Amino acid sequence: MIQRFSLQPASFTPESSKEMVLLSIIAQSFFQPFSLDDNLLVILTALTSGTGVGFNRALLFLKEGERLQARMWLGPRSPEEAQAIWSILSTPGIGYAEIVEHNRELVDRTMEALQPKLRFLNYNLDVPDLKIPALAARNQEIVLVKEAKKERLVDDNFREFVDVDSFLCLPLVAKNELMGEIVVDNGITRAPITAKDIDLASLCGLLAGNYIYTTHLYKKVLEMEKMAALGEMAAFVSHQLRNPIVAIGGFTRQLLNRPCDLEKCQRNLSIIQQETKHLEEIIFKISHFLKISIKELKPIDVRPIILSLLERPDLKAKAESKRLVLRLNDQLPKILCDQVYFEEAMVNLLDNALDVTPAGGHVYLRVFPANNKWLRLTIKDSGPGLDEKTQEKIFTPFFTTKEKGIGLGLLFVKRVMEMCAGKIEVQSKPGHGTLFKLYFKAIEEKGAS
Amino acid sequence: MKKILLVEDEKALSLLYEEELEREGYEVVVVYDAESALEKIRKEKFDLIITDIRMPGRDGIELIASVMGLRKDIPIIINTAYQSYKDDFMTWAADAYVIKSSSLDELKNKIKELLFEKETE
Repeated sequence: MIQRFSLQPASFTPESSKEMVLLSIIAQSFFQPFSLDDNLLVILTALTSGTGVGFNRALLFLKEGERLQARMWLGPRSPEEAQAIWSILSTPGIGYAEIVEHNRELVDRTMEALQPKLRFLNYNLDVPDLKIPALAARNQEIVLVKEAKKERLVDDNFREFVDVDSFLCLPLVAKNELMGEIVVDNGITRAPITAKDIDLASLCGLLAGNYIYTTHLYKKVLEMEKMAALGEMAAFVSHQLRNPIVAIGGFTRQLLNRPCDLEKCQRNLSIIQQETKHLEEIIFKISHFLKISIKELKPIDVRPIILSLLERPDLKAKAESKRLVLRLNDQLPKILCDQVYFEEAMVNLLDNALDVTPAGGHVYLRVFPANNKWLRLTIKDSGPGLDEKTQEKIFTPFFTTKEKGIGLGLLFVKRVMEMCAGKIEVQSKPGHGTLFKLYFKAIEEKGAS
Repeated sequence: MKKILLVEDEKALSLLYEEELEREGYEVVVVYDAESALEKIRKEKFDLIITDIRMPGRDGIELIASVMGLRKDIPIIINTAYQSYKDDFMTWAADAYVIKSSSLDELKNKIKELLFEKETE
């Protein structure tokens, strides 16, 4: 006998245990996109949904610098509103996604009016006479407040805002570091907060703390990656510029410090001129590379583009002593790309292939449909091929095997391919040349043209 | 006359170094990559090697490792545009690290220093 169950519990019933519902809500939150707001909303939902822990309302604080700032409040503001909301949420068959979606709308709708009030719930964690709720955060302990009206340790602003007798403060902590706090209460039903509620809520607090922590971490990693790429680029650019500058400076010094015969003076001047030209090229290529942006993808017909490429004088000159073999199907689907960038990417690849192919060698360019979804374009050279170590580096910015190369050509091709939703693969072995395979998404023809 | 092997892939720069070092009274042999450098070292005797790091083919760091395997007694100067390789511990095997500059004074001084040290050893 076989029994089948769905991967995720689709809906909550009054019979499901609170723990089960909570676990299910949290587990499903992992399917959410990686957004801190979304994930925190899930936690607040878990805390407040009737079938979850079941608090009436939840208020979220985040630690910002040395302050604790109220950021989001989830829950009805009056018994009438509560009635309306809870009747929707207790509809049989309503699932987790609907509840979160509903709460997102609720938060969006209520935040505008709430924002000015939340702004006042802002505590400096450094002051000596810190009050609740911020005190609970600083001490990193869960605090249950009863008879709040009589309790002097509760901040007046806060008391006025929640207007409730009993509430629970849940500090959000990760790696011993304070991330924020959630305050939950039963302001509508006035139901007492039980020990079990506190246990379940503390679990939610733990998760929320870690969500915030990982989000911070993720942001930091992105920042560091950007900085590392920038650093690498700066190092390479300064190297690229330094070589010609040293040559220019060195030969200028020779001219200034020592008398030279006409021939040598001329030679030095022409080196200086060449190196200046080289500097200009470097700057042009780098700025050109940084500017890549395809605003609109258009259907393009690669056949005429490739045929016209082969007529370009620069490529023709390079191909003089070599054989460029073209195989181009008559019927090719169009692809989505940008004509100018496609052309430039092709020139880069052909240029490389011709550069490494020795005189008398072949370069093969083939374009054919891989299947009805992809157009395949391959370029194969008869050069020395690349060892594994080199293959790993070919798309790294500023990696080059050419004496005067900048090392941006293949990266350019890769970026164009990414923008055109294509793929690029490389196959190579020392002694066997290199094969580049490019896949472009084919557009289905609507009727014969 | 002291003989120097210069490994530098930039043609204009190698010409500049060659002329300047010859004026200082050295015999200078120029090669453009690590492979040819190793070939030369196997056949001829050199008093000092000057090499760049980033070059087509094998880089200067690999060259240093191979030279150390062949001939431990030749002093090596890294002459490069990269500051960052100074932190690469493989470059510590070299005897000096000079950042390329249009003034060749630092390089010339290092050469003198190293050749003098070698003589008095």
